[in-house]
Parts: sequence; C-alpha cells; structure tokens
Amino acid sequence: MNSAIKQRLDTFVDRFRSLQESSPWMRRFSMLAQLWTLIALFVFFSLASDSFSRPINLRNILTQVSTLAIFASGMTFVLLLGQIDLSIATLAGLSAMISAHLYSKLGYAEPIPSLAGIGAATGLGLISGIASARFRIPTFMSTLAMSLIAGGLTTYISKGRVITKVSELSMTLGSKRIGGADGLPVIVIVAIVTLAIGYVVLRYTRFGRYTYMTGASKSAARLAGVNTDRILVVVMTISGFCAGLAGIISMGRLHSAQPDATDSFLIDTIGAVVLGGTSLMGGRGGMPQTVIGLLIYGTLRNGLDNIPSIDIYLKEFITGTVLLVALLINTVFAGRAERDQTI
Amino acid sequence: MSTVPIVELRDVSKNFRSIQALDHVDFDLREGEVHALVGENGAGKSTLMRILAGIYTDYEGTYFLDGKETRLNSPHDALAHGIGMIHQELSVIPELSVAENLYLGRQPVTRWGAIDWKKMYRNAEEELAKLGFTLDARLDLEQYPLGTQQVVEVLRTIVSGARVLIMDEPTSALSPAEVEQLMALVDTLRQQKRSIIYISHFLEEVLHVADRITVLRNGRSVATLTRAEASLDRLIELMLGREVDHTVRPITAESEHEQTLLEVKDLTSDKFRDINFRVGRGEILGIYGAIGAGHFDVARALFGLYKLDSGTIILEGETFPPNHSARYAIRHGLAYAIEARRKSLLLDQPIYQNITMPHLERIGRFVPQQAQELAAANPTIAQVNVIPPDPLNPVGKLSGGNQQKVAIARWLTFPPKVFIMSEPTRGMDVGAKSEVLALLRRFGEQGYGIIVVSSEPETILAVSNRVIVMARGEIVGRMVNKNLDKDALMRLI
Repeated sequence: MNSAIKQRLDTFVDRFRSLQESSPWMRRFSMLAQLWTLIALFVFFSLASDSFSRPINLRNILTQVSTLAIFASGMTFVLLLGQIDLSIATLAGLSAMISAHLYSKLGYAEPIPSLAGIGAATGLGLISGIASARFRIPTFMSTLAMSLIAGGLTTYISKGRVITKVSELSMTLGSKRIGGADGLPVIVIVAIVTLAIGYVVLRYTRFGRYTYMTGASKSAARLAGVNTDRILVVVMTISGFCAGLAGIISMGRLHSAQPDATDSFLIDTIGAVVLGGTSLMGGRGGMPQTVIGLLIYGTLRNGLDNIPSIDIYLKEFITGTVLLVALLINTVFAGRAERDQTI
Repeated sequence: MSTVPIVELRDVSKNFRSIQALDHVDFDLREGEVHALVGENGAGKSTLMRILAGIYTDYEGTYFLDGKETRLNSPHDALAHGIGMIHQELSVIPELSVAENLYLGRQPVTRWGAIDWKKMYRNAEEELAKLGFTLDARLDLEQYPLGTQQVVEVLRTIVSGARVLIMDEPTSALSPAEVEQLMALVDTLRQQKRSIIYISHFLEEVLHVADRITVLRNGRSVATLTRAEASLDRLIELMLGREVDHTVRPITAESEHEQTLLEVKDLTSDKFRDINFRVGRGEILGIYGAIGAGHFDVARALFGLYKLDSGTIILEGETFPPNHSARYAIRHGLAYAIEARRKSLLLDQPIYQNITMPHLERIGRFVPQQAQELAAANPTIAQVNVIPPDPLNPVGKLSGGNQQKVAIARWLTFPPKVFIMSEPTRGMDVGAKSEVLALLRRFGEQGYGIIVVSSEPETILAVSNRVIVMARGEIVGRMVNKNLDKDALMRLI
C-alpha cells in the first residue's frame, strides 16, 4: 500500500481507538459494532424504500433467514472451535433427498423419512469429526471430502431428478403459518428454537464452556483436562444435525427436493456467522452475535430487492461490497485488527 | 595464526534500562579458532552474542573487524561482513531439498529470471564436497535426521559467505551421536581456517571443542583461558565467582520421606529413558537439566500429555493405566503448571474462569454458574495473593508473576496429592519469584508432594529437598539438597 495513505489510515484507526478508550459509553458503543451496522442498514433501507419497513416485509426477512439460521446455529459451534464445516450445504441436500425418496418412492410414513434424512446428515457430520479428531485431518479437508460424498450420494439417490412429492411434516415445518395467512411462519419458530437451544448449550453448559475454551486455546483446554478431540467430534456432529434439519425444512419451503437447492447456503452461512462477530480463529462470539449477523444478512439481501431502481445484475456485487465494508467496520470498531505477531 | 584478530570487541557495555547486561567487556576471535563463551543464565552471553551478530546496534564500545573499526547495522549487514549466526532453533525448511536450503533466498537464476536448478544442484554438490560432506543435494532435507539438518544450517551460513560463525547452544536438541557429528563439523571448519564463537551450557562439550574459553559473570568478562588452562572445576569456579569446596560431596540418596506418594518406574519415551523416582508426602523433588534434557517432557508425560512407550506411574498405591488422559491425572490428584504459562491460560477470560477450568464438573452439576464459580475461585485467589484480586479481571491484564499465581491457584480448590511445576519462576522479577517459591514451600509443609522441573539451578536449590539431574534424556545424578551447590548440578550436565 502507498505509505502515505497507510499512515493516514493508521492515524485514523489510532485516533479512533483512543476515542474508544476515552469513555465507557464509547466502549459500549464499539462493542456493539455489529448491532450498529444492522441499525444503519435498517434505517437506510427504510428511508430508501417504501415497502421495506412494512410489517409483512419484516416477516419476510425473518422467513428468508430462517433456513440460514438453522445452518448458522451449527456453524457457530464449529467456528467457535476454530474449525470449519464445508459440507453443510450438501449434507442438507442429502438429508432432503433421502427423506423425499423414502417418503414418495418407498412409501414410508413420517416421521421415519425425516428422521432418516437428519440421521444421515448427523452421521456424516460425526464421521468428519472422527476423521479430524482421530487422524488429525484438518476439518477443512475432511468436510470438503464429506461434501463430495454427500453430494455424490444425493446425485445417486435422485439420479439428478427433482422429487416434487414431499411429506406433510416437512411442508408444515417449511411453509405453514400459525394463526392464518398473516400468522407467524412455523419455519421462524423452528429457527428461533434452534438458535435458543444453541444459546443455552453454549452459555450454560459445561460442554459449551469447553467449546469456547478449546477454541480460544487448545493447549489451555488440554492442560485443564478437557478431551478436545471429543469436543471436536460432538461439534461436527451438531453441525451435521443442523444441516440435516435445515435440509428438511428447506425442502418443505420449496415443496420439492432438488439435488442442488441448498448449494448457496455454505457461503451465506459462514458469511452471516462471521459478520455477526464470531471469529474464524475460534473462542470469540456466540449465538447472540449470530442472530445479529443473520439479521444484517437478511436486511441487506431483502433491502436490495426492495429498491426497484437498483440494477438486478448489480445486486451480487453490492452485497459483496457492503459485506466487506461491514467486516472492516467490525474489526476496526472492535479493536480486532491486531498486530501481526507472526514473527 | 595471524596476530590480528578477525573480530575484536573493546570495552563494550550495554544497558537494558536499569540492568547492566555487559560491563566493559573485551573479546577477540582469531582466524581458525573456536572461542567458547560460558556463563550462568543472565551472565551476558546472549547480549554479547547479539552485539557480535549485529542484532543489537546500540551499545558503548568499539567493534573491530580485521583490525578496522566497524559498526554493524543489522544481522544482514553482519553476514555481508562475513559474520553469520546459527540460532538455537533451526531455521532450515525441512520440506525443501538440501540444495534449496543451502541457497535459500539466493538461488542462482537463469537470464529469464527462473531458478537455475541445474546450476543450483551443481553448486550445492561442489560446496558439500569441498566441506567434506556426502549429502544428496536433491533430497528433501526432512529425509535427514535432526543432526544433519543442523549441519545443513551451518553449511548454509558458510555458503552465504560467513568466515565467522556464532553458534548458540547448537547441541541442546541433539542426541549424543548427532553431537559427535556436529563436533566433527566444527573441527573441519577450524581446519578450513574459519572462526567460531561457541556458546553452550555443556561444559564438557566446551572443553572438548574450544581453543579458548571466555567466562562471563554478571556482565563482566572474568577470564579467558586456553584449553590447556581450563578444567571443569576451574570453569565452574569462575562462573560462580568463588572457590568450590570439593570436600563437601553431594549426598546421594533415595527419598528419606517415609510415606511415598508418587512412584515412577522406568518411564521411557522418545525424549527420555528409564526414569525412576519417588516423591514422598510433603517432599519437594527438583528435576534439573539443561534445555533439551527431556525433563520437561517427563513432567508432561506424568500428567498424561506426552505419549509414553513404557513405564509405570503409581500414585498412593494406585497404578495409572498406560497413557492415561490429563483428565484422569487431574481426577486422581495430579496438578501441573506448564513452563509456558501463557499456554495454560485463557488470557481474554476472567481470572475466576481460568481457575475453575479444570474442575467445572466438580463445581456445578451440569451448569457452571458464576456465583458457584466465584465461590470456588475466590478463596484460592486470596490464598496465592493475586494482585489485583478482582476475580472478574481478565488474566491477560496481570503481570507475569500474577499470571503464574493464577496458574497455581487453579489447583488449590480441590487440593492435589502431587503438584508438578515446570519453571515456576521463569521470567519473574525478584519479588514475584520469592513469593512463588514461598508458596511452594508452604505447599510442601501442607503435605503435598511437589515436583519442580527447571533449568534454573537457583530455583531448584531454593526449594527442593532432593534433586535429580537429567541430561540427554537420562537421570545422571540424584542428591539430597544439603549444602548442595550449583556446581554439583552444573558438573553433571
């Protein structure tokens, strides 16, 4: 970088930091950087679009991020541990396809198809976890392989075809509303319950504490007698379970099981969780952060749809740019752009 | 030998704030000479070496190179003047070939700017032959043992044009056979009229390899001896600065304590062999060794964090299962504070959480609650006197000494039977040191068994009832800490 620009940027950041240290109010403000990003986006879209802030649209936002929220609940555990799960999208696809196949082709009654689908995803998550814990394969690789395995199985079962007959149970979860046409979608409730369970587990159980400990410093956790391998296996299994559940729900929402319906969720999930403030390095973050990250993501996606003047071919570009800026603001506000201490 | 030294330091001093690290030191190195630097920890060896290697540029005194006054600006500059440094930790890249390692950063290139592999291999083979080594330049370095990698590191510095080599504890991580190999290399280099500054804890090794030996003590150069003048006793006397009374012989003995708490039989792994000892109730056992002696690994293995090939651990009559987990060790009454204390702490987390970490399941049934955790942590914080005593303060904000107290306090909620501590006082100021040592003594009086593992003889001698000395993975001495002197320990390693 040009040294003059760099210096000015550094001075700016320093000045900001000293401002931040100056009062407790400023410190609180900067700790909630993500929340402020969300509010800023919300206010912006409310002003820029008439339709954005209508109650029905707000409900839409919640519905739109619900599937993502279920994926993100699992991913929050994984990232807190400093690991990654690249298989969630295809695990979800496999879960949906297995369940649809059992239901429509083989005639099993619910809940067997759904349980089988979720069970398969959970089992494959467990296998990735064991592969990484026992044989020290980085989760990046074990879950990448698992992603291919699950994707391959989906293709094999579906033969590339879409199954349009899906069970009542998944339809209920995916697209029904409680309290008539304007009621609360069941999918939102499922998402909230999943996030809440995740929150309780992380915040109030020994296992949750061990997850944070292992993510923050594996050596410290091991010195305290934590079986870090077991934590990793359990976390990858949780992620598999969440992916499986998200697959069933996404199927119910689309009224069909499609081999590639869930593909885009991988990047969106990681994006939303990290945007909320959970560190990719592990040990920092949590479910409340993930909720904020999800809402930022939902607001941004939905808000751009609600401004008719935006060229739809530019939407992806704008989303990316806003995400990058939001991440930069997060690191600067939270004082996380730390010194490089490699050497 | 020519009369003008290649390198000469005259009247060099260096301060770090209030500490006088070097105090008017003279040092010279002649062509084709191995000149060793010895001294206790903190005597000024590292500082002198860093000045010689161009790392410290801010000092008083004069630096002569080939009789001309010089001021080196950086290690890079030093290498340009023919002075190269071999650090304690290897900096070779095992995944690359021998030739690539030799020419790292200076690979010959073709006129298109691509690496000239042919030329590089040819040059490497020539250089290796010239120096008398038969290594395959094309083979990946990781195919060779650690000792050979060390040799390649030395050769690289020479190929880079170094006439003067500064070797900092080059043998601390090597096996005896590999040490032989390195000694042979040093001899070869000496014959080729290269000069070597050799820094080592191992006095036997120094006596074997050096032409001259300079002894530093408290930042002062107390003597420069030729090999003929030097002896183990003489060196130790000079290092410690007083006559050593040879009539007091260390008392060799097993535990006098009647009740054995911990018994260790024939522990063996890749880093140590046949380790046997007992720790009695209320006894403090010191395990001393130079860095790389394997004593820290013994501590890790006892706690279940280092894989054992064989051996038995018996705690109060109960035999541990082979390769038990750390959790098993904790449940059965072992506690362990590691030498790298920051590795054992969560620096962003509050003190109380760092203290309750190993005991969560004993504190709350299912859900750890802050109130319960504080109730468990607070008494121990007071017991070890953490300052400031606020349990909600993140550990990272504490001083090193207080961090160590937290690392100790975490084991006091549910008192262990045997407490293993590696380097309990490393990097602490005098006040914190004496506080921690007092804590250790108090634990001993309370009936814990304590194992103090350290490379600092002062720490060992200050608290231990008995001392075991380890060198190169084996126990080489056992003695009772009565009238015991540092020289008894240093003589053995």
